[in-house]
Amino acid sequence: MTGERPLGLVLLEMILLVLIGPLVTGVIQKLKARLQCRAGADILQPYRDLAKLFRKGTVQADTTSGFFRSIPVLVLAATVAAGALVPVLRAGPPAFPLGDALMLLGLLALARFLTAVGALDAGGAFGGMGASREMTIAPLVEPVLMMVVFSTAMAAGTTELGALAAHRGTSWIFAWRAADFLAFAALLVLLPAETGRIPVDNPDTHLELTMLHEGMLLEHSGPGLGCMVLASHTRQIVTLGLGAALFFPIGPTDGPGVMGLAVGAGAFAGKILALVIYLALVESSYAKLRLFRVPQYLGVGFVCALTALALRIL
Amino acid sequence: MSADTVQSIIDDLGALLLFTMILIIAASQISRAIYAVAAQSLLIAIAAGVLAKATGNVDLWVIAGVTLAVKAIALPWVLHWVVWRMNVRREVEPMIPVAATLALAVAVVVMSFHLSGSLGPVRQTITGNALPVGIALTLLGVLVMATRKTALTQMVGLFASENGIFFTAMAVTQGMPFIIEIGVTLDVILAALVMTIMVLKVRSTVDADIADLDRLKG
Repeated sequence: MTGERPLGLVLLEMILLVLIGPLVTGVIQKLKARLQCRAGADILQPYRDLAKLFRKGTVQADTTSGFFRSIPVLVLAATVAAGALVPVLRAGPPAFPLGDALMLLGLLALARFLTAVGALDAGGAFGGMGASREMTIAPLVEPVLMMVVFSTAMAAGTTELGALAAHRGTSWIFAWRAADFLAFAALLVLLPAETGRIPVDNPDTHLELTMLHEGMLLEHSGPGLGCMVLASHTRQIVTLGLGAALFFPIGPTDGPGVMGLAVGAGAFAGKILALVIYLALVESSYAKLRLFRVPQYLGVGFVCALTALALRIL
Repeated sequence: MSADTVQSIIDDLGALLLFTMILIIAASQISRAIYAVAAQSLLIAIAAGVLAKATGNVDLWVIAGVTLAVKAIALPWVLHWVVWRMNVRREVEPMIPVAATLALAVAVVVMSFHLSGSLGPVRQTITGNALPVGIALTLLGVLVMATRKTALTQMVGLFASENGIFFTAMAVTQGMPFIIEIGVTLDVILAALVMTIMVLKVRSTVDADIADLDRLKG
């Protein structure tokens, strides 16, 4: 069993997640561009976009209420708080009461809800449609993600992510039980949906009827939009980190001091990179699904997760 | 290999078999369903190889080879050829929505785990979860056959169902008598040939598919 994670480490991990979130998006976009034989933008482009947004002024529709201004900050805060729950550098439970995987999913759901409320508040047609679609997809994604978490938590006897990762140990794929394969398959189906990528949503479009998440951001501008974009970068890496913590062990966990942390950071980067390559491949090789076909696609994940649970329980 | 290792490998393969079955049910294009059933047969062949290594049963090696050659390579190739030859619409045409079929599939999986739980003493003698997984595969294959309109996807369901029976039999008996296994494999080949010819003939003479036979009234 590994040691507990002190407050300083948890804060460091949270800040690290927020800082490298845009980088992950940049790498995915670069990989996609290379797969499509384009040169593609620099991998640091998301940072430049963010810097530009934060320098700009804010324009707001007349119809919005006072609550609208606080939405981006609340969404970012909820997402970053979810980031604090993901173990990055080292496995093991935090040294103080913090929250578990259910808390993480709850915070992500809260961020999603606030985004949708903001989109409806502005009263634009695109925002309302994006919000309605997002709220159609969300009830299909979140329960399945919970079942994936449960199927792992059943074996470990806890829902605390750090403890889950520590229970998983360092023995890689060879220690996987039958249920883990199915749960991992379910997670692979869910990842594009949860990160807003191609079979479900298209992150590159801004003015098409196909968009879900981008549609909800149309009424935001300047620093507010910057917060929303940063929140969606963070949400993406938090989801990837959740998958990594559930299914891949967190580095050599009880390495001493700075050296152990450095190895943990390297291992985390490797795991995220593997998932990023998967996302880029899926995005380049599939077309976006019609909205009415999305439940069928997510149904595969649902059945996989339920079967994984059945294998664990029965 | 120790008994524990074999058991966990068979369990893992069972999980992957269920996954390929889910892919077959959810596939929206015939060619994807065919690839999934080929992958499923490949996994069955691997399971046969693992059991052969564990039990030292030479027949199982031959069966693994035959499964690989016939069910993982030859039959999917024939199916692809028929799809190409018939020049049909590449989408599967379900009787009920695929989402509903997936919901039924969940019920079938849970039910087969529940049922095999009541077969306590039988289950004890069998490697790991092979019994419930085998039952589930067989029933899900039947489900695919029952919910699809076109003959080709029904054939895919038949092969998947047959894979389930094969997997159960292999795990229960640690290798059936060689002659029975070969007989079963020949049956499948024959069924595939008959159905292929039938589908092509029906298509070329009356330009109809199996679902249209409903309209024939005596």
